[in-house]
Amino acid sequence: MKWVTRPGVHIDRAACAWLIHRFIDPAAEFGFVADAAEVPTGATAFDIRGVPLGHHGFDCSFETILRRYELTDPVLWKIAEIVHEADLADDRYDAPEAPGLDAILRGLSMTGTADHTLMVSGPVFHGLYEYHHRRLLLGREPAKPWRREPL
Amino acid sequence: MWRRCKQLGVAQLGDGLVGLPADARTREQLDWVAEQIVKFGGTAGVWLSHPATAGQEHDLAAGMAQARAAEYRGVIEAVTAAGREPAEVRRRVLRRLRTQWRAIDRRDFFPPPDREQARQALAQLASASTTEEQPAGNLAAP
Repeated sequence: MKWVTRPGVHIDRAACAWLIHRFIDPAAEFGFVADAAEVPTGATAFDIRGVPLGHHGFDCSFETILRRYELTDPVLWKIAEIVHEADLADDRYDAPEAPGLDAILRGLSMTGTADHTLMVSGPVFHGLYEYHHRRLLLGREPAKPWRREPL
Repeated sequence: MWRRCKQLGVAQLGDGLVGLPADARTREQLDWVAEQIVKFGGTAGVWLSHPATAGQEHDLAAGMAQARAAEYRGVIEAVTAAGREPAEVRRRVLRRLRTQWRAIDRRDFFPPPDREQARQALAQLASASTTEEQPAGNLAAP
């Protein structure tokens, strides 16, 4: 399925693309358009002004997609808080990861193409998901188990 | 909506008219604000415009810098007040003020000298709190 968003990929669009690819449509292909009027027939647009999968009320696009696709995984909602604060910084949530993630994604958007940002940020969100998944299971800060690395 | 606009650091240009320096981020932020206003039944649009004269542009930038400077001075005053508090209170205040400084910095498009002064005041408060922790061992000494 074809998904389209605006170029100049920043935190919300990068997080949405990762979410779509990993939890909604593993065969997702991403394209970029300047605004809602340019969305090709059959494509689903996200994080563009005037489309259903955009900001709604206090929600950023990542939160809107979670609601629309009824994704209730608490780890995804934890990531939603981080994405929301990195994108909107309105102090709605306590997300200490947000400023760092915002700086990384903003830097990526300055050094590479939109495709490159999606490619590089995917594993970052995957790692963030795993960290918060383990944190939720353990009920405390997780760390990789120690073992002697081969020389 | 006005609260959101203030968070973004807009300049009030007229009745119902606000402005931000144009970049990819500010453009998008104003897009979403406009979208919200339209959804609530209001009228809003985002326009890209240029001041007709350099003087007008300068006044606008100076006004925005002054607004941020007042916010940074608020941080400096809070740092001064925190200096009189016990170490534990100071550390808590320091965390809050650092967050506040970052929020101001995020909407600061024409940094005034007060920005650096506030940053230094915070650094001194942090340094004083850390230094005070060092002699803790002395308390156990007879």
